[in-house]
Amino acid sequence: MIFEWSYISAIISSTLRMCSPILLCSLAAAICSKAGVFNIAMEGCMMVSAFFAIVVNYYSGGSVLLAILAGILSSMLISAVLAVLIIRLKASPVVAGMAINTMSGGLTTYLMYVFFHTKGLFQNPTLNGLSKLTPFFASAFPELAQMFYGLTTVDYLSWIIAILVQIFLYRTVIGYRIRAIGINPEAARSLGTPVEKYQFWTMTLSGIFCGLAGVLLSMGSVTLFIQNITSGKGYIAMTANNLGKSHPLGVAVASLFFGACQSLGSFLQQAGLKGQITGSIPYAATVLASVVSSIRYRRQKEKKIREAISEN
Amino acid sequence: MILEMKNIVKTYGKVVANDNVSIDLNEGEILAIVGENGAGKSTIMKILYGLEKPDSGEIFVKGKKVSFNSPLDAMKLNIGMVQQHFMLFGPMSVTENIVYNNEVSRRGFFDWKGNREKVRELSGKYGLNVDPDALINDCSVGTQQRVEILKTLYQNADIIIFDEPSAVLTPGEVDELLSTMKNLAKAGKSLILITHKLNEVMEVADRVTVMRSGKVIGTVNKKDTSTDELSYMMIGRHTSQLNIPDMKTGKRLLEVEHLSMGSALGKKVLNDVSLHVDAGEIVGIAGVSGNGQSEMIRCITGLEKQYEGKVLVCDQDVSNQGVSIIRKAGMSHIPEDRYLWGSAREASLSDNFLMGEEDSDAFSSHGILKQKTIDRHADRLIDEYAIKTDGCRQKMKELSGGNAQKVITAREIERDCPLTIACEPTRGIDIGAMEFVHERLVNKRDNGGGVLLVSSELSEILKLSDRIYVMYEGHLNYEFRHGEVDDRKLGRLMLGGKADE
Repeated sequence: MIFEWSYISAIISSTLRMCSPILLCSLAAAICSKAGVFNIAMEGCMMVSAFFAIVVNYYSGGSVLLAILAGILSSMLISAVLAVLIIRLKASPVVAGMAINTMSGGLTTYLMYVFFHTKGLFQNPTLNGLSKLTPFFASAFPELAQMFYGLTTVDYLSWIIAILVQIFLYRTVIGYRIRAIGINPEAARSLGTPVEKYQFWTMTLSGIFCGLAGVLLSMGSVTLFIQNITSGKGYIAMTANNLGKSHPLGVAVASLFFGACQSLGSFLQQAGLKGQITGSIPYAATVLASVVSSIRYRRQKEKKIREAISEN
Repeated sequence: MILEMKNIVKTYGKVVANDNVSIDLNEGEILAIVGENGAGKSTIMKILYGLEKPDSGEIFVKGKKVSFNSPLDAMKLNIGMVQQHFMLFGPMSVTENIVYNNEVSRRGFFDWKGNREKVRELSGKYGLNVDPDALINDCSVGTQQRVEILKTLYQNADIIIFDEPSAVLTPGEVDELLSTMKNLAKAGKSLILITHKLNEVMEVADRVTVMRSGKVIGTVNKKDTSTDELSYMMIGRHTSQLNIPDMKTGKRLLEVEHLSMGSALGKKVLNDVSLHVDAGEIVGIAGVSGNGQSEMIRCITGLEKQYEGKVLVCDQDVSNQGVSIIRKAGMSHIPEDRYLWGSAREASLSDNFLMGEEDSDAFSSHGILKQKTIDRHADRLIDEYAIKTDGCRQKMKELSGGNAQKVITAREIERDCPLTIACEPTRGIDIGAMEFVHERLVNKRDNGGGVLLVSSELSEILKLSDRIYVMYEGHLNYEFRHGEVDDRKLGRLMLGGKADE
């Protein structure tokens, strides 16, 4: 039964759905690391965005557009604050990023009580979710279209953004300057680039991506806000960025891998495996992937050293 | 006159780095500024390039009084600088490095064709050969420097400052650099060359300004002076002739037998190297860098353990052993890279002088450091080697390159052990300090120690060595005694020539 077509297409569509938030967040991490800033606050930005999207959704009587904007803006604001901390005030990116992540967990829980007088979960019939797109070939190839079942506009947008980021970084003048800053900020400064300004705006831009990811979480497959809605996806994105070497296309492949792990986990649970085990699959995969990537990195480094020795 | 700096004064705390310094530069000439480390030549150039602000004094560019707040202001006035430490984007192409911040673009997109064309045009115009598409990381140091020069030209620099440009180059690259500089001057550019290598000065400069302890000692026309006069002006006395008495050699301190080493690419880096150093002799290794000297030293000192062959230090077999065992056997080592192997940049001078000796009874007891003794030891070496510093608690990274070299050289030479491996012990240090280090090495030998000396300065090898090995492509081809060979013959053998040609 597990090899039935409907089953496979369901796994694929769920993989794609699980992938998008990770993809958006890992693109955020990627542009930041290209600009030479270490950003680990995707988790927090995503959480804040998911929350304020629901808040504005509720108070505007179900306006999806305003909700998306609220999500993006709140995440951008958090990213900008983080950027000031790291770039201007020279705070440690790990400490500042962790502070943002921890704070946003507590803040959203508290504000949920302030706004909705509930704890843990907020759901309401007046909330509207993101509109779902039916592929244009649905009537001609219904089997194929099943693979894209339930994908929202923002899911599709995440893939367009991945391509745009690729073009932005490697084809435009500004992208080229950002990469140069990441490689050697002192050299860039010596040629008159306002390095901090570029880094600030890159981080703020990364906030937009995390914001979209947050909107997907609270208004995508389901429309609700639940405590710890991000459940570590921001950290998985960090690993995806690492695995994909901060290259947009590499990052996209890595995100797909983690999306697949998550969807596999939930399907195995349906097949009868214990939830505690299946739920840990994506995280175990993260640990494994980190180990594999760091071993690979070390091998490459050793090889480079050996080559360097032989060249000298 | 294109540039005039008048009565510049700059102090750092109590130290007067520039004391009423005046410099002028004519259009199309090459002006050399020479002086020992700490003479103030770097400071005056930092002021000219906007990296430092003077306490007082005036700067005129093309007759107009100017003041700089940052290198950008200098750039706007068409002043460029080729830094000693390159400012490049390693993983990017030559083109991307040159056009940065002033790119040809089409609707915000990077115009590869246009930018590449601009680089080609510029490199053709000044005869500076580069491949616009090559990655900087794949380029030789000489090419990287050409990219730095092209960068200043791309920004329309009329005044170009070269800060110790030959320090990182091989002899062939130096010749090329000097002819490039002459071409640029012919093309109407005005150049300032900061250096302490007087032979280069005599080759390219039109005029020479000599600085000593923050002051300008004098400015002379090249054709009216000589290296002797210049070095007298630089250090304020005539250089002494080092007297190296003959010594009877004693017991064997280092024995290397049939050392071979391969690389990951299957190339043989070291090919059956055998040598020995006895008590009471300095043994020099002559060779063009990159012929296996670094690898050989790494094997001997324990930094590299994967090799075939035997290494004996004071009759103890230390083949494939780690550094601490080899050091205990009686070896000290002045590494060729002063920051990678030689010192900890973030640590204090005291800590750097202590390194490797921290568990000796003199400096610690039962795991507790004797800080007072350590500081006294540091102060003594600072004093003896005339290291310019605020004190033994200053961080290593705040020292100039030459002074940092002195710290490492001092630590290793003064260590109580019979054998010293000295790699480039005088790299980047001035004439006065160089003489002192030479004296110390000879002193070590006279007291019954042994020294293995690797240096890219042929004159250093010829002057100090009792015996000389010639290294070529991973093998020691020839062995000479002091006085049996001159620099010409050595130079030929280093390039793979035969002894009887």
